[in-house]
Amino acid sequence: MSVKLLVVCLASLLVLVAAPFVGASLQGDDSRFILLQLRLPRTLLGALVGATLGLTGAAYQALFDNPLATPSTVGTTAGATLGALAVLVLLPGSQMGLPAVTIAAFAGALVVTFAIAAIAASGRASINDVLLAGIAITLATGAVTTGLQFQADMAATFEAVRWSLGHLTQVGYRGVIMLAPVAGVCALILLLQVRALESMLGGEERAHAQGVDVRHTRTICLAFGAIGVGACVAWCGPIAFVGLIVPHLVRLSLGSTRRVLLPMSALVGSSFLVFCDALARCVVPGQDLPVGVVTASLGAPLLVFLIARRSRA
Amino acid sequence: MAEAVKPGLAMLGLGFRVADRSILSDITLSIARGECVAVVGPNGAGKTTLFKAALGLLRPSSGSVTWDGADVRRMGGRERAAALAWLPQRTVVQETVPVLEFVRASRFRFSEGRAAAVDAAMAALCAVSAESLAQQPITTLSGGEFQRVMMATLVAQDAQTFLLDEPANHLDPRRQLDFYSMISRQWQQGRSVVCISHDINLLTHLSPLERASDVRVIGLDAGSLSFSLCLTDPSMKDALESLFSMALRVVEVSGRPYFLPSDEART
Repeated sequence: MSVKLLVVCLASLLVLVAAPFVGASLQGDDSRFILLQLRLPRTLLGALVGATLGLTGAAYQALFDNPLATPSTVGTTAGATLGALAVLVLLPGSQMGLPAVTIAAFAGALVVTFAIAAIAASGRASINDVLLAGIAITLATGAVTTGLQFQADMAATFEAVRWSLGHLTQVGYRGVIMLAPVAGVCALILLLQVRALESMLGGEERAHAQGVDVRHTRTICLAFGAIGVGACVAWCGPIAFVGLIVPHLVRLSLGSTRRVLLPMSALVGSSFLVFCDALARCVVPGQDLPVGVVTASLGAPLLVFLIARRSRA
Repeated sequence: MAEAVKPGLAMLGLGFRVADRSILSDITLSIARGECVAVVGPNGAGKTTLFKAALGLLRPSSGSVTWDGADVRRMGGRERAAALAWLPQRTVVQETVPVLEFVRASRFRFSEGRAAAVDAAMAALCAVSAESLAQQPITTLSGGEFQRVMMATLVAQDAQTFLLDEPANHLDPRRQLDFYSMISRQWQQGRSVVCISHDINLLTHLSPLERASDVRVIGLDAGSLSFSLCLTDPSMKDALESLFSMALRVVEVSGRPYFLPSDEART
């Protein structure tokens, strides 16, 4: 297993280092600008967002003991989308220091997720009920978003659709610098929950008997997962599938041991998203595909392939 | 005047209700350190609920559960995990983690390095003769192997008291006896053991023959304490007969009493 681990680590690092050099050839006067001011921040942003989505996905799947849980399961992405859309539709063209869209998306993510975290923290709801509440609030938020879109004019709707595809462009170093501490702190706090999540392998009640404060673990995981993912969605829009697929890729290649699964989901998540983004700017020459399209169309077949291989073994 | 604090697990006037249904009512019971107690009773008598209340998983509707005088619901998690470990009736593990990792995870209460935790987990697996399973994925074990590994997680947690909820259910006759002698060994090493069992003929195997009189049997009926007797007490047969509403016959084999259904009408 340690050989596999090493290979996955090296491959991930290689992708991260090589990614800025992928794309239209770097020659001529503006090559330095393209590399340092466009591709490098974009790669750094992709690494941060991918790591956050991968790690949060792995933590949520462990917490809910459910392979279908994703960072969006508890309404984080739906809340962010509603917040962003509200600004795009109601205040077209507004700017205040930070893009208002980013602030509104982050706020939306937190409001929705913290409603779920409050249910989880009460300790009376079973973890499956928390999951159900998350799905319900996601659907409700989505309905409000759709209603809002219906009211909007063409231009605002177009902007909203573009936003909801997910993108890593046009954020620059400012986005990286603002996202890095948030993502870093959230990642650290989630990783500190590994031992509690390991104890939960046999269910929450057993974990309680082994000394885990289950309510505390639930609240911390949901809250800091949501803050990290909310910040990512606020800057980049919802990037689909990374949080669902990456933990499964890690699980199928390296096993489910929590202390491997969580950090490796962060590393593989970052390299996966950066790889998809590099691909997104090469597939159609002279055009940037939304990275969300690539993550889904690449990740889903890869997951099916790994599952097929496992069921044959 | 302050009440004398009894060491070990104590329940005082414990009651638990769900909606209007009473699951446990007015249970007063204490289990001192080093005791071996079997809990018997018909289905739905509240045995599992009793354990959950002991672990602080439930908020009692009345009364209290204490360990060494401290309320189990107010104790710190790690402190409580040092006092009480639990083998639930059913445990579902979905993830394919290696057995050794699963057992190591139950060392949560300890602040120790990984190497120390792995050593302790391995020692726990050896204590239940399951060391050969260490690297196997937990999802591939047979029922008997799984139950052994579950016992290893309790040994690794190293709590003073083991709460075992029908630990030998679903095991074949030989493995049932093996499992009970494993429990017996843990008791003789100084732990308290509280064991729920439906099989009244396994109770005698909780202890070596010469210590049979140290095993206490508690009968639970419809949420109330029905009796608390030493296993070798002459009135045990009557107590079990009235608890299960059936006629029994005692048959002694190599000094151990077994209770068999009797055709005679109850007197």
